[in-house]
Formats: sequence, C-alpha cells, structure tokens
Amino acid sequence: MKKISLLILVSFCTLAVFPQAKKPVIMVFPSDQYCISRGYSMTFDNQGLSQTLPDYKKALQTDPDLRLVITKMGQIMADRGFPLKDLEQEMKNIEQEGAEMAMLTSKSGAGIVESPIDRLKRTAKADIILDLDFTIKKSGPQTYISFNLKGLDAYSAKQVSGVAGAGQPSSAVAPEILLEEAVLSQMDSFNAGLMRHFEDMFANGREVKMLVRLWDSSGDDLETEYDVNGETVELITAIDHWLDDNCVSGRYNRSDATASMGRYEQVRIPLMKKDAKGIERAVDTRTFVTDLRTYLGKAPFNITSKVYQRGLGEAWLIIGEK
Amino acid sequence: MKKYFSFIVLSLLVIALIPGTLNAQTRKERKILYNSQYNYEIEPVGVGQDGTKVFKVWGVGKDVNEAIMKAKADAVAACIFKGLTGGAGSAPTPPIITEPYAEDKYADYFETFFAVGGKYLQYIAVTTDGDPSGQDRLKLKKGYKVAIYVQVMYDALRRQLEADNIARRLDKGF
Repeated sequence: MKKISLLILVSFCTLAVFPQAKKPVIMVFPSDQYCISRGYSMTFDNQGLSQTLPDYKKALQTDPDLRLVITKMGQIMADRGFPLKDLEQEMKNIEQEGAEMAMLTSKSGAGIVESPIDRLKRTAKADIILDLDFTIKKSGPQTYISFNLKGLDAYSAKQVSGVAGAGQPSSAVAPEILLEEAVLSQMDSFNAGLMRHFEDMFANGREVKMLVRLWDSSGDDLETEYDVNGETVELITAIDHWLDDNCVSGRYNRSDATASMGRYEQVRIPLMKKDAKGIERAVDTRTFVTDLRTYLGKAPFNITSKVYQRGLGEAWLIIGEK
Repeated sequence: MKKYFSFIVLSLLVIALIPGTLNAQTRKERKILYNSQYNYEIEPVGVGQDGTKVFKVWGVGKDVNEAIMKAKADAVAACIFKGLTGGAGSAPTPPIITEPYAEDKYADYFETFFAVGGKYLQYIAVTTDGDPSGQDRLKLKKGYKVAIYVQVMYDALRRQLEADNIARRLDKGF
C-alpha cells in the first residue's frame, strides 16, 4: 500500500513538474488542385463572380486512392504520437452535431442558442494542415507517382514542412503499391521538417497572429493617448510595449496599423506560464490576448474589450465593449 | 656532358620517388578513412516495407566475416547519425538523431549498443549473409571490402532510441 501511495505521489509530482504544451491538431486536406482537377468541386455564384471550391466530401467518398494515402499517412503519424484528425469523420460529426442541435430542446421547450458566427465556425479545423496532392503518371508502359505534401501552419500560413518528388517508374507494380511506397518513402523526411518546427517552437515560442480591432460603438481608437508611467503614448504604442515585455525575447512584428486596426504577425508567445497559484499552465493565443485585455482593463486605460478566438494560433482583441 | 647526364638522372630519380611518397600517405589516409566512424558507404536500392529501410552497405575488415559485421554495424549507424541518401525510388531519409555531436555525448550508450553481438543486431532484419561475391567482394592488400544488402528496422530502432531518451520524440513536450 505504501509503495502504491509513493508511486501515485511520484507520478503526481512528475505531472506537476513537466506540464505539457498545447498540442496542435493535424489534419490532411486534399489540395484544391487535386480536388478541382478531378471534378471534386462545387461552383457557385458569388455576387456575379463564378467561384470554384473543393468538395472534400465528394473526394473522400469517391476516390479510393486518396483514402489509401490518407490512411497510410494517419498510421505513420499515429506511430509518431500525432494521430491525425480525420477529415471525413469530422465532416460527419459536424453534420450530426447540426442535426442534434436543431432537434434538442429543454423540458420547458427552449432550444440551444447558436449565433450566425457559431454556425460559421462549425467547420473542420486544424492547427497544422497537411495539404496533399499526388498524381499517378504514365511514362510509356511504366507508371509512377508524383507526390507533393505541404505542412502549413493554419494561422501564419507558413509552410512548416514539405516533401515533393516522383517515385521509381514501374510496369509491373500496381498503382496502389506505388502510392503506398510514395507515402512510406516521403514521410520520414516530412516528419523531420515537422520536428524542426516543434524544436523551434519550444526554443523560441509559438508563432501566432493577433489582431486589434474596434467596435463601432467604441469611444476610443488606437491613437487615443494615455499617460503611462509619466509618458504620454498612443494606445497602439502601449500595446507594442506590452508585447515587448511579454513575447518570447520581445519578438513580434506589427505588420500594419491604422487608428482602428492593428495587425500583429510572427508574435512569439511562450508555451507555458505560471498562474496566480504558481502552477505552470499551457498558453495559447487566447490566454495570451486575454492577459493583454486584463492589462488594458486596468488604469490608466480602463478599456473594456472582447477576445475573439480563431483557433490555437490566432485571436482578436476587439476594443470598446464585450 | 657527364655533369648534365648526372643532373638528368638525379631529377628523374626524385620524380620517380615523389609518387611513392604520395602513395604511402594515401594508404595511411585510406586506413584512417576505413576506420572512421563517419565513413558509411551506402547505396539505396528501393523503398522498404512498412517501417524498414533497404539499402546496400559496404564494410571493410581483415576477412570477409569481419567486413560483413562492420557493414551491419555501419548500416545501423548510418540510420542513426547520417541518414540515407535518396535513390532507386526512395526519398532521402533524415538521421534518427539530429542533435549535433550525439555520438560523443552518448558515447557510453553507443559503445554498449555497437559492441560485438550488441543490440544493434536486433535491427538488421534481412541481409545477404552468405559470402558476397563478384563486384560486391573486393580484395584489398590487407583484407576485404564487401557489400551486403540490408533491411534495417528503422521505426523499431527509432522507437528504441526514443525510449532510451537518446532521440527526441516528435510529440515530446506536448
């Protein structure tokens, strides 16, 4: 009994000492080029402009080669500790969730509140998108596979890893086996790129995006001046100073700003922080921007603002009201 | 005339001796090269089955058996420290350990791992264990240089090194 208690205590201490950073969600999406060139697309009229978008559902329901490649990639990624979120299953879940939400009522007959923005957000999302494209090509009697896989950070739109290449032509081997070979051959190199991205993230912080915007009801704008520690500064400059103090090594880039908008990119936020109780907590963009909101809520600013989350790596601070 | 003749003979003698000196140096260099822990001679031969890498690897030893064992150890070492070049339909494979100077940092671990009959043999799945012949068996002045075809259990090897905290897991820290 003593031994078990000791084991539980040691396990608890280990968890307390080594808290874990927020794990990014990874999902494979067939590229737009793959879908549109094979007819897995839908065209609609967007205010007079004809717009073509990929139809993932159709692609996943009708393309066995695509399913084979995604399954093989999923198997390899699960082995590396990153089980992929399955796009097909996620779309089914979203449909089911919508149907259940429409039917669900309380005992008094009340329905679930869903704002237009909630509906808009009910889509398949990932923090790292694996943009996949492959083609089965012919060279005389021989078949070979051209394979292209990009790992994209969903928020910074940066390519964090990528592999591309053509396999060995063969006239004897079935295309399915060539496809499997293409995945087996390329994934180690792809994962090495992903590893470099994670190592950089742990060394220099998570790279995220932050937007500062104003409600049209706001009395202040980003050029409103405040006295901060005896110095008169505009609100946007005060936000810059806060980022200087709170980003990892003060690294961020204010890529654009007006009186009503500030766009911050390549903001390096720490992966962990200590809370008021001294316990280490994982940080995402929402918690980081919430800290900025708390800072602006105090004197001399006394600003009310709202944090709007757009995934693990992007959040907006909207000034004026909640 | 005699003077000129002696000068020409002497010059020819010096010229003849220079390559000899160079050859001696080359042999010495070659010995260092063969014994170098960084010198893995590898040629990809295709895409391996799930979790494996197949390639041709060269080894040097006093006899054929020693050269084969050296080739097996080099095959595993190449997967760990150097990575595999692409070719014959396979894409380049990065090394399992990307940390600089890992072979020195974990020297004790790898000394045991690569000891004669060591754990590294667990990750060589299939080899042409019969004596290599033809172009895969070169007779050197003092020994043999042979090539064998190996299948390294790459994923199993990576998992072992991750479990021993030698290689970094992809999901470490999450």
